[in-house]
Amino acid sequence: MTYAYLFKYIIIGDTGVGKSCLLLQFTDKRFQPVHDLTIGVEFGARMVNIDGKQIKLQIWDTAGQESFRSITRSYYRGAAGALLVYDITRRETFNHLTSWLEDARQHSSSNMVIMLIGNKSDLESRRDVKREEGEAFAREHGLIFMETSAKTACNVEEAFINTAKEIYRKIQQGLFDVHNEANGIKIGPQQCISTSVGSIASQRNSGDVESNSGCC
Amino acid sequence: MNFLRGVMGGQSAGPQHTEAETIQKLCDRVASSTLLDDRRDAVRALKSLSKKYRLEVGIQAMEHLIHVLQTDRSDSEIIGYALDTLYNIISNDDEEEVDDVEEENSTRQSEDLGSQFTEIFIKQQENVTLLLSLLEEFDFHVRWPGVKLLTSLLKQLGPQVQQIILVSPMGVSRLMDLLADSREVIRNDGVLLLQALTRSNGAIQKIVAFENAFERLLDIITDEGNSDGGIVVEDCLILLQNLLKNNNSNQNFFKEGSYIQRMKPWFEVGDENSGWSAQEVTNLHLMLQLVRVLVSPTNPPGATSSCQKAMFQCGLLQQLCTILMATGVPADILTETINTVSEVIRGCQVNQDYFASVNAPSNPPRPAIVVLLMSMVNERQPFVLRCAVLYCFQCFLYKNQKGQGEIVSTLLPSTIDATGSSVSAGQLLCGGLFSTDSLSNWCAAVALAHALQENATQKEQLLRVQLATSIGNPPVSLLQQCTNILSQGDKIDRRGSKIQTRVGLLMLLCTWLSNCPIAVTHFLHNSANVPFLTGQIAENLGEEEQLVQGLCALLLGISIYFNDNSLESYMKEKLKQLIEKRIGKENFIEKLGFISKHELYSRASQKPQPNFPSPEYMIFDHEFTKLVKELEGVITKAIYKSSEEDKKEEEVKKTLEQHDNIVTHYKNVIREQDLQLEELKQQISTLKCQNEQLQTAVTQQVSQIQQHKDQYNLLKVQLGKDNQHQVSSSDGAQMNGIQPEEIGRLQEEIEQLKSNQELLQSQLAEKDSLIENLKSSLTTPDTNEATASAGESEQIAELKQELTTLKSQLISQSGEMTKLQTEKQELLQKTEAFAKSVPMPIESETVIAAKTADVEGRLSALLQETEELKNEIKALSEERDAIKEQLDSSNSTIAILQNERNKLEVDITDSKKEQDDLLVLLADQDQKIFSLKNKLKEFGHPIEEEDELESGDQDDEDDEDEDDSKDQGHIQL
Repeated sequence: MTYAYLFKYIIIGDTGVGKSCLLLQFTDKRFQPVHDLTIGVEFGARMVNIDGKQIKLQIWDTAGQESFRSITRSYYRGAAGALLVYDITRRETFNHLTSWLEDARQHSSSNMVIMLIGNKSDLESRRDVKREEGEAFAREHGLIFMETSAKTACNVEEAFINTAKEIYRKIQQGLFDVHNEANGIKIGPQQCISTSVGSIASQRNSGDVESNSGCC
Repeated sequence: MNFLRGVMGGQSAGPQHTEAETIQKLCDRVASSTLLDDRRDAVRALKSLSKKYRLEVGIQAMEHLIHVLQTDRSDSEIIGYALDTLYNIISNDDEEEVDDVEEENSTRQSEDLGSQFTEIFIKQQENVTLLLSLLEEFDFHVRWPGVKLLTSLLKQLGPQVQQIILVSPMGVSRLMDLLADSREVIRNDGVLLLQALTRSNGAIQKIVAFENAFERLLDIITDEGNSDGGIVVEDCLILLQNLLKNNNSNQNFFKEGSYIQRMKPWFEVGDENSGWSAQEVTNLHLMLQLVRVLVSPTNPPGATSSCQKAMFQCGLLQQLCTILMATGVPADILTETINTVSEVIRGCQVNQDYFASVNAPSNPPRPAIVVLLMSMVNERQPFVLRCAVLYCFQCFLYKNQKGQGEIVSTLLPSTIDATGSSVSAGQLLCGGLFSTDSLSNWCAAVALAHALQENATQKEQLLRVQLATSIGNPPVSLLQQCTNILSQGDKIDRRGSKIQTRVGLLMLLCTWLSNCPIAVTHFLHNSANVPFLTGQIAENLGEEEQLVQGLCALLLGISIYFNDNSLESYMKEKLKQLIEKRIGKENFIEKLGFISKHELYSRASQKPQPNFPSPEYMIFDHEFTKLVKELEGVITKAIYKSSEEDKKEEEVKKTLEQHDNIVTHYKNVIREQDLQLEELKQQISTLKCQNEQLQTAVTQQVSQIQQHKDQYNLLKVQLGKDNQHQVSSSDGAQMNGIQPEEIGRLQEEIEQLKSNQELLQSQLAEKDSLIENLKSSLTTPDTNEATASAGESEQIAELKQELTTLKSQLISQSGEMTKLQTEKQELLQKTEAFAKSVPMPIESETVIAAKTADVEGRLSALLQETEELKNEIKALSEERDAIKEQLDSSNSTIAILQNERNKLEVDITDSKKEQDDLLVLLADQDQKIFSLKNKLKEFGHPIEEEDELESGDQDDEDDEDEDDSKDQGHIQL
């Protein structure tokens, strides 16, 4: 159960786009076809492995309904990553992205990694938002982009893991202050010792980088 | 003003009036003065008046004070005074302290006052937002009163204020920062603020948890020294409880955050018997309750079980069991620890197994379960403790078939310890069941019922239990003994209520008999039982007996419903008739209904924990209420059903069985078909495999064909080349590129050998002539010489012979060579013929390629042909080898010849030497002859010139010899 880092995520986006389903698929590997309206916020967690390091993801799945908007705003500040989800079969969920993004930028720390997700990619026949449009939006606003299907689990794992990779990269670049928990990042219990001895940690990190580049 | 007078109590009207005017003046000053100092002084004055003249200051000054908060933010002092004043107006805390002795009436009024002012304050939502923003101010004089003011606002009108804070951006997050404040007063009041903030508001609880509240609170608790930590720890624990109680999301977060592990040190309580301060007891109590919040039976099953596992893995359960078995622990802590352990092990096999293995540190060690049961049936122990032990025992057996089996087995004859040195759980339960203490009876009966819960095996096992009542009497079965006590209950003088004992026993019997036809048969076998039950039910007894009647009806109902008709006299039908005759169906059902209508029934059905305010309320067990719910309906139906309906039902059952049979038949068919399908699938897969293999083989073979074609083409080209070679050099044609080279080499060798041969022949000829010369020269010398030369000539003859043999060998070799050449010729012809015989139908093959079978046929033909070709090649190479061997042999003969020649040469040199010797002799003789001639001349004798001529000839021969040697050297080179 030990981990190197702990990242806090939030999942945001309009109601019914499949936020809870994405979380359920990621944590429990199952799909719940019946829409069960999220009240406020629900919590889920899972361990992932990035570059040989165990990383614990704590994910807060927020309610998409407008009435909960003020509550969900409280979660931006403490999150290191956000999955901004829209439904590729409903254009209005795509149109609302700007307002979600404004909210996120306004209330979060500037380094928060935002992953744009076009969910329900299994419903190709009912597609209303082209993949290219999602890509363009992401490019324009500096987001990572992916299309997923919580139903078929396609790209779900990748969406969460790629976000974690990006956060991890930012940590290595020194963009995140890992000791400030308000950033949504925590160093694992056994890691504290090594990071207090900065030089050793940096050596180790550089060694890691080398070994990684070597294997690739 | 009447209202005001009530608040102010004994104050006279005069000064009040003047104070009201003063307050008015002060308010005017706050509102109108342009100087900050003036305003500040006025607010300070208001503050000092605000406790005493709460109503006036509240009514007149609130608006102005809020205005100050909005406009004078730069001056922390005035803000501080304003906040203090507002706090005094709104808070009831101080009022209560001051007016402790005042009448209750006035306190209620002051509470009204606080909530009314709160309502006024929060009417403008911005006021709360303003207060939140003021809390960002670091200055102690602002932050502290701010925290206190917000806390009392929340205490007054929690839900409304919570809602305002929830919707103000970052509101909750800001309040969370208070926990990080370095000033302990603010941090501690921050905890109180958060307590009020999180009270029964799930959304806020989650945000607070999201803001790392668990981490921070656990840190504070650790820093303060866990249970030793005083009231701050208590406040933190209450806040943690607020966050976790009935909040599944937060519980999950708590578990996932590995915070359960951090609870373990809380229970590392020293074994000192003294030093349990009241605060420590309170803290530990809250800590235990927090554990229970996480594993409460009312939580979702998955959540509870994962927390239970975590608690075992991190050693928390073990730590709790240590407290359980420690000495000197205060009774209420012990009780709560037992309750906590109960819920940590409930329904979790691993934890239950661990608990069964815990031993008390006594000598000899006894199992914890036994020690606890001893307390349960000990009437001197506190009631709550006995309840807790019962709960613990119930939780230990909940969904624990193994544990149930172990408990029942301690009662069975085979396992009872004959020596009686140690008390077993079963013995304790039996002792409790038949003791004179009704509470023990009830507890033991319920405990035993839990050992049978949903466990048909143990229900049957328990039937085997025999009790030795008194010496001389035959042993009585446990079931019998229970019914005996029921029927004769009134004869024994008991402590406590008689009803409790009977209810306990009836619950045990109902649990025992339900779902167990064998136990029903055993029960009915005792002919006294049914009359007793019907008698109980039929009698028109007082209200307090109604419950017992209901339970008797339930037991009789169970005896009917689970009756397998194995007893002739008590078949279902007969029992029903009996009810109809003696009691009446309606009456029976009404009595049965008494159980669930009992006021204590619903109470017990809510929670598994036996939690009773006093022993009189200890009537129902939670699990038993479940059983009643399950059985009430079906028994009612069973009783109302007429015999015809019963028969119909039987028929329906039969048809159902038939249907079942049909279904099972079809199921079997489906299963078979499934199997067949599976087999067929496998066949298909194997066939697919084979098909793939064949296809790959075909492609391989096609490629082989291609290779072979290539080889043929190559061979053809080579053959063409070889033919050309034959024309030019009449050399043998070979099958591949290496052999021509070898042949060339061989030819060269042959050529060399020929030239060698020629050379040798010429040498031989020379030697022959030389020998001839020598011979002729040797014939001339004296008789002495002649003998020598005769030997020589013999040798020469031998040499000659050898030479002739050599020659003949050479001839044979050359013959062989010609033979080889002819053979080569033949081979060439053969290969040519073969090449002609090889078909080259490229076009046709492209057509054929479509049909694999055809191709395969052709392929096999081709393969055969290639095989033949290979064989021929082999034959050719063998022949070539033979030729080589022959060449080798001829080479060796040549070598032998050379050797012999060398020998001959040696001989020749020998003979030359002899010749030289002879020449020397001849020279001597010449000299002698010369001297003799000279002497003859001296004597006047004429001399012929012939001799002188001879000596000249001799010189010539020498010259020739020299040439010879030169020649020889040349040859040898």
